[in-house]
Amino acid sequence: MQTKNKVVAMILAGGKGTRLESLTKKTAKPAVSFAAKYRIIDFPISNCANSGINVVGVLLQYESAELDAYIGNGEKWGLNGIHCLMSTLAPKQTEKGANWYKGTADAITQNIDFLDKANPEYVLILSGDHIYKTSYTQMIQLHESSKADVTISVIEVDPKEASRFGIMAVDKKDRITEFQEKPKVPKSNLASMGVYVFSWKALREYLIRDDKDPESEHDFGKNIIPQMLKDKKKLQAYRFEGYWRDVGTLASLHEANMDIALDKAGLDLYDEDDSNKIYTEDVYSVPQYVGKKGSIRSSIANQGAIILGDVESSVISSGALIESGAKLTRCVVMEGARIRSGAKIHNAIVAPYVDIEEGRQINLGSDEVVLVSK
Amino acid sequence: MKKIIGICDLHNDPELGELTAKRPLGSVSFLGRYGLIDFTLSNFSNSNIDRVYILAKNGASRLRKHLGNGAIWTNNTKRGFVGLYLNEKGLANPTFNTDISNIKENLNINDIDFDYAIVAPSYMLASMDFRPIINAHEASEADVTVIYSHVDNADSDFIRCDKLKVSDDGSIAKVSKNLGRSANADISLDTYIISKKAFKKLISDSSKVSELYSIKDMINYYIEDESLIVKGYRFEGYVVPILSLNKYVEHSLDLLNYHIRNKLMLPEWPIYTTTHNTPPALYGRSADVENSFIANGAIIKGRVRNCIISRDVVIEKDADLRNCIIFTHSQIGKGVKMEYVVCDKDAKVSNVEKLIGKEDEIILIDQGARV
Repeated sequence: MQTKNKVVAMILAGGKGTRLESLTKKTAKPAVSFAAKYRIIDFPISNCANSGINVVGVLLQYESAELDAYIGNGEKWGLNGIHCLMSTLAPKQTEKGANWYKGTADAITQNIDFLDKANPEYVLILSGDHIYKTSYTQMIQLHESSKADVTISVIEVDPKEASRFGIMAVDKKDRITEFQEKPKVPKSNLASMGVYVFSWKALREYLIRDDKDPESEHDFGKNIIPQMLKDKKKLQAYRFEGYWRDVGTLASLHEANMDIALDKAGLDLYDEDDSNKIYTEDVYSVPQYVGKKGSIRSSIANQGAIILGDVESSVISSGALIESGAKLTRCVVMEGARIRSGAKIHNAIVAPYVDIEEGRQINLGSDEVVLVSK
Repeated sequence: MKKIIGICDLHNDPELGELTAKRPLGSVSFLGRYGLIDFTLSNFSNSNIDRVYILAKNGASRLRKHLGNGAIWTNNTKRGFVGLYLNEKGLANPTFNTDISNIKENLNINDIDFDYAIVAPSYMLASMDFRPIINAHEASEADVTVIYSHVDNADSDFIRCDKLKVSDDGSIAKVSKNLGRSANADISLDTYIISKKAFKKLISDSSKVSELYSIKDMINYYIEDESLIVKGYRFEGYVVPILSLNKYVEHSLDLLNYHIRNKLMLPEWPIYTTTHNTPPALYGRSADVENSFIANGAIIKGRVRNCIISRDVVIEKDADLRNCIIFTHSQIGKGVKMEYVVCDKDAKVSNVEKLIGKEDEIILIDQGARV
């Protein structure tokens, strides 16, 4: 018998993330390290797990193998239980031929069979590269009670920044009346987070229509949502409150890491309440050690980090070695990187397994974030 | 291919007073993130031994909580397993609660498919590859191999362990209690390789010899009566037993030293442990940490020297800790000064200014205490 799944989550994790430069040369963006211990995709997947969503599909494309292996059967997030299904969905060969995903909507269209089999009432579309802690329950409830065809999660942004986002104009009941993609003159300060709850019936219909449209870019923001608006479907805005970051650029990735290190994120990873925990892979490493001449302040560091130097306002991942006499300020040091004695680095992301030679000075006194990679 | 089973024998593990009043030694926290038993279980895993029987004397629920389904230490989770066995009858009758009675109650040695069993306790801390030892056992044609170490600290760290007299041909001539009269000695690591035939004999003989005897007693018995060939294998790696609370602290803090740590924590020999999805350790602006292990989830705002801080511990501003071991989820309040204190889990220390112990007078704060 097919169990009815009320909500199925589909996480878009196929992007290349070119703005993260060489960090994504061999790694899909959602698999990039975050906050010393996590990978970016841990956040949306944990949010699903904590919202009681049992069926999660992860759409993969760029450098899919590593992310596929990481996701596995979903055990890291507890999504391997009897009612759970965690599935990675990379482009595949079918009787119609072989296709890459041509856009965010096309990625879902090509997996209609997966959704039909799961047979949900609602489909939650998420992005694999957002940092936030939430339960989707309220948003789904709003979608249900407002009888919308689609509910879009929106966040208030600084009006001056609004022209960088997809902006939603709403009426008194937060019904969406207009959608503007990166508008010069924004009609509101409500930006779309790229998080949608669709009624599966409505979404299915629009995906099939969109698939047949040769002009379409097969994108949710550019095609599906505008078309639904045009057809006067019910589009509801859900006002998200709390910490949310799109970490698509080096600067935003660095800033979000700093928010955690300086304990000002409003994203409480240290919450006593376990119901919103972010789950991730735990590595089998030696304990974290701070040496006799080491010091670490205003920072976070993961299991397996060895800190013999001076670390301030930084993020130190597992297996990283900060030698004595090295000095780091505002650095994000990723897994296995080695900062040798006397090296001084400021405002940088140090890529995994980079070896910084003795005495090297990088980016001192600069406000610009730099990437240090092999 | 040789078929090998691992038996993690907790029946002979020492008690560390209040610290082991509610839990077996194997589940006592170590280096802020392990349980002591993790070393033995990881030695099995890393030696490709996938069938592991844990013989518990008591405290099965605490152990089970730490072990989960055992998959952490198992290679193939269908073929391999980590089983936990408790002689429930023995709980009411501690004198008879031996490893042998546990085996008799729970396992049928005849039905288990193995050539050699490795029996190891959890109190003997070492990173030990059993594969070359098994090969040596096979080549020596011994029925039982006792793994021992030649130590130069027998008078301080191995008191009351078994002292061996090993003959030139490798057989064990004599066993006696190490009373610590000399620093140099060959000390049994309470770790044995036993061939299946010998194991069956040992179990069946034990009913005739004494109901009170353990596996170790039976092996010592055979060394005297020579009805089985018992040989020694000299292990060359780092090893220390955890025999008392003072020694637990001493050997834990020893590992803060890089050179000692590198003898126990080998690069190709990971120690697997239960994980808890805790966030990275968070250091506040006023954190001042030196020569310490800090586990994930810890929040450090105070001063920490030569300490081991476990998961989810909070050290408040102006707290000053030296040579302390703080267990999971405990909190040390503002301005508290502590030296040589072991603080068991879930405790809160905030109403005292000072708690100063000594190297040989460790202060223990009980689980959940408010001090």
